[in-house]
Amino acid sequence: MSLQLEIVTPHGKVYDETVESVVMPTTSGEVGIMTGHIPLLTEIQPGDIAVTKEGGVDHLAVSKGFAQCIGDKVSILAENAISEDDIDVNEVEAAMLRAQSALKNAKEMSEEEINMLETTVQYASIQQLLKKKK
Amino acid sequence: MPSTKEIRGRIKSVKNTRQITKAMELVAASKMKKAQQNASSGQAYAALLAEVLANVSGRIDGIEHSFFEEREVKTRGILVVSTDRGLCGALNSNLFREILKIQGDAKYVTIGRKAVQFVSRNKLDLLAEFSVPDEVPYLQVKQIVEFMIEKYEAGEIDTIEILYPRFVNTLIQEASFGKLLPISNLDDMINSLRGKDAEPYRENIDDRKIKFEPDPATILSSLLPLFVNREAHQALLNARASEHSARMVAMKSAKDNATTLLDGLTLQFNKARQAAITQEILEIAAATSSNG
Repeated sequence: MSLQLEIVTPHGKVYDETVESVVMPTTSGEVGIMTGHIPLLTEIQPGDIAVTKEGGVDHLAVSKGFAQCIGDKVSILAENAISEDDIDVNEVEAAMLRAQSALKNAKEMSEEEINMLETTVQYASIQQLLKKKK
Repeated sequence: MPSTKEIRGRIKSVKNTRQITKAMELVAASKMKKAQQNASSGQAYAALLAEVLANVSGRIDGIEHSFFEEREVKTRGILVVSTDRGLCGALNSNLFREILKIQGDAKYVTIGRKAVQFVSRNKLDLLAEFSVPDEVPYLQVKQIVEFMIEKYEAGEIDTIEILYPRFVNTLIQEASFGKLLPISNLDDMINSLRGKDAEPYRENIDDRKIKFEPDPATILSSLLPLFVNREAHQALLNARASEHSARMVAMKSAKDNATTLLDGLTLQFNKARQAAITQEILEIAAATSSNG
């Protein structure tokens, strides 16, 4: 028995594989999904997705989005997602600093811009954490 | 027959034109590549989002949201996506032909200068005009869509539709309507987003009731606007890919036409030059023979 997992962002498909189980961070806590899970639609918050498949565990960093599980198919729609191996620590740090310095002028920005920058910072720190864990 | 001087003048001007169109072709070609890439990378996301929503909308009993509610359509709300600049073949006029076909009441929101000009020239009901830069920033699209949603909820318009040149391939762009609100049958949209190579979409077999975490209202209130915004954004990216493709093709054929014209003119010029030389020799020969 296996699950089909796909992770898609506006920049393209990040992950599309057959897996055994997946654990993802949702707004109401971590949710683990294995085959036969009831249909579920939930909101994802920035965090770390752990995918167990034959031959090991994959980790991915995601920013906010939605996850849907129907049948034996899990679809994750995220603003951003990156697999652990592709994380470039230097680039992440630069992106984080850029966003943080931009946030200093927060007064002149609209709420949406601030939200977006905050998500960027969160996403960056998750990538850093994930990288450090290893 | 025009003199060599006149022909030389024309050759010069045609050469200039060819140079300009060639430069424009190159610029459009590089922009096209980028725009096509942007459009195709966003496609998977938009398709999956529509699919998620299709699954949800089939399974919510007793959940009401104004986005699902089908009311009598008195006034259609149409977002027209045109270009800011011309020289892109029949792209905009194809869109405008669709507008002229519309019967009944409709209100328009436009993107791009060409659409504003058209809508005001035809004295149609213009709600607002926007201009979106070439990279199509998501936040800006969101503002436009939110403006339309506001009008929708206020009852000023009863649908939100988007009219844009859909990118088929570099040579073909079709003026097409995409319906954003109310959310009804999503199958067509999903299939068109997936492209013709992928297997057609079918309703999922799992018919157990769907569970929402934390609860349906919270999820739907953030998922539905996201859906409308993202689909509009994707349509805009698609329209940009169409624009640059159409412009590149138009400029390429302009350049080719200039080259053909130039060949003809060069031939004419050479003939005229030859004729002048022959004439001169004849005159000299005639003069010498009459003297001798």
